Amino acid sequence: MEIIAGLLQTSILAGGVLALAALGEVLAERVGVVNLGVEGLMALGAITAIATVIATPSPALGFVCALGVGFFVGMIFAGATVVLRANQVLCGLALTLMGTGLAATIGKAYSGMPAPATFAPVAIPYLSDIPLIGRAIFAQNILVYLIYIVLPLVLHLVMFRTRHGLNLRAVGENPAAADAAGIPVQKFRFWYVTAGSSLAAGAGAYLTLAFVPSWSEGVVAGRGWIAVALVIFAGYRPVNAVLAALLFGCITSLGFVGQARNWPIAAPILSMLPYLGTIALIIVPVLAWHRVRRLMAAPASLGEPYYRDVR
Amino acid sequence: MLALTAAGIVLAASGAAPLTLASQVIKSTFGSSFGLEDVGLLLTPLILTGLAVSIALKIGAWNIGAEGQFYAGAFAATGIGLFIPGPTVVILPLMFVGGALGGVIWILIPTLAKAYANVSELITTLLLNFVGVLLAYYVATGPWLDPGGHALGTTARVRHEVPEFWGTVHWGFPLAILLTVVVAGLLNFTRWGYEVRIAGSNPQAAKYAGMPFRRHLITVMLLSGAIAGIAGMLEIAGTVHRLQGGISNNFGYLGIMVAVLARGSALGVMAGAALMAVILNSGIILQTQGLNTSTVLAITGLILFFTAIGDELAHYRIVRSEPTA
Repeated sequence: MEIIAGLLQTSILAGGVLALAALGEVLAERVGVVNLGVEGLMALGAITAIATVIATPSPALGFVCALGVGFFVGMIFAGATVVLRANQVLCGLALTLMGTGLAATIGKAYSGMPAPATFAPVAIPYLSDIPLIGRAIFAQNILVYLIYIVLPLVLHLVMFRTRHGLNLRAVGENPAAADAAGIPVQKFRFWYVTAGSSLAAGAGAYLTLAFVPSWSEGVVAGRGWIAVALVIFAGYRPVNAVLAALLFGCITSLGFVGQARNWPIAAPILSMLPYLGTIALIIVPVLAWHRVRRLMAAPASLGEPYYRDVR
Repeated sequence: MLALTAAGIVLAASGAAPLTLASQVIKSTFGSSFGLEDVGLLLTPLILTGLAVSIALKIGAWNIGAEGQFYAGAFAATGIGLFIPGPTVVILPLMFVGGALGGVIWILIPTLAKAYANVSELITTLLLNFVGVLLAYYVATGPWLDPGGHALGTTARVRHEVPEFWGTVHWGFPLAILLTVVVAGLLNFTRWGYEVRIAGSNPQAAKYAGMPFRRHLITVMLLSGAIAGIAGMLEIAGTVHRLQGGISNNFGYLGIMVAVLARGSALGVMAGAALMAVILNSGIILQTQGLNTSTVLAITGLILFFTAIGDELAHYRIVRSEPTA
């Protein structure tokens, strides 16, 4: 029984990284831009957060700084892909290489240093007293509540219950029609891609402030890519994305439990689980349920830059 | 052109900022045969991974997994080299085939998923990179750990080596060039190559014309994996001789860069690989000065970024040069 509670707690903690990054990617992809730079943004966010926290022992400031760096870098990425309409795949890969490389270079000085302050768990009264699951779910750090409850619900409501959200989705589905209806397509794309990048960097900050919590080269370890895959698996919906991230948190924590309990499987093999799991989860549903495909389909003009006049 | 200029500017900006370092790089790279040999050693894997990514792009597929296929090839080659007894004349070709097969197996699932379920190969190939790295790390620190214990985290030395043909540069280098020329020939002068190119530029048209799109996609992607696997095998048999965790030096990712710079031409692959080899080598030379492989990665990303933007801006030029009025 103890093990289940522990598993749940680690799953939630581990899933938070993916959930935040995936929410950011949902924003970008819903307006029609594939951001493959998540991995790099997370690395930048992670190092920004740890550097800030070591300079001023305030995790909140570290998180905000990471969001700011993500915002700034996101504007550069959006400027290239939305304003200049450069190839989104290339720019994303470039951003990943740049971010990973730059973070590793800066991070040399911070390698192995533990974060002096992290987000402390906040126990919600009464709820955290529920036996077994109480402490696992309701005694997490403040970011967890934000990522799992506040953010997805707000995004869901905005995206599917407001006119603004309808416009947002229209920009991703059919930018020409949206443009004809008077929706500022480029503006939507630019700011949502930027906001999404900011969240991705925030996910990196979560990694070094609440989950690991220290910097080492390769600390992001492909989580950015897993987040991109999750968005596909989640059918581009914020609430689904968070649930999918939780599922992945489970797979990750299974590996941890395995290591802690000395299962007869080597640690590197257990570490492969999240990657293999991701691949399985984006392939299997497509094969299994053909009918779901339309409901979960990608925004129709995903990855295509929008030109008002045909070139 | 504009892209290359932009890349050149970035390169100049990031490389020449500390001028003394730059001159040091040039002196130690081109001023001695050692420097040139180092570049030659780096060229071999870069040409091959660049070729691997480039050929997949021909049919419109992004093979971001050359890194993983490189590891798989290195893993297979090491396994054969360490555990199958026999004379080098027999084992070396076996390692070659094994390396290629390792790469093929690594890209098999992404390929089939793309061909039959239309699952984006971008993510599937990429995620397998991490699995490949972990696999190499696992065997190099676990079951295949050097019993002699010369170094931590590597396998024993593989006895079968590709002979050297100039200084420390092994015969893998001319082999890589030969392979590039052969693939370019296949793509440009055969019916298969023609169909692949059509399928890459317009899948709808290719299907309509009755070309076996799916079959071409599968063969091209598997070929791409095989080439990246061969790169891994040559790195084991020619340069490093031991399988270890970080054997690839990001060759798979740099291969993407090479392919993008090359714009689908074989000659371009070699030129792009040469450029990357020089950059990578400068990184290694400057390592003592505080720069390192991650800085090189960052610079590579910067160049890639400007290449992408330059590409698009170059497009604009064409539109503007043919006004309607």
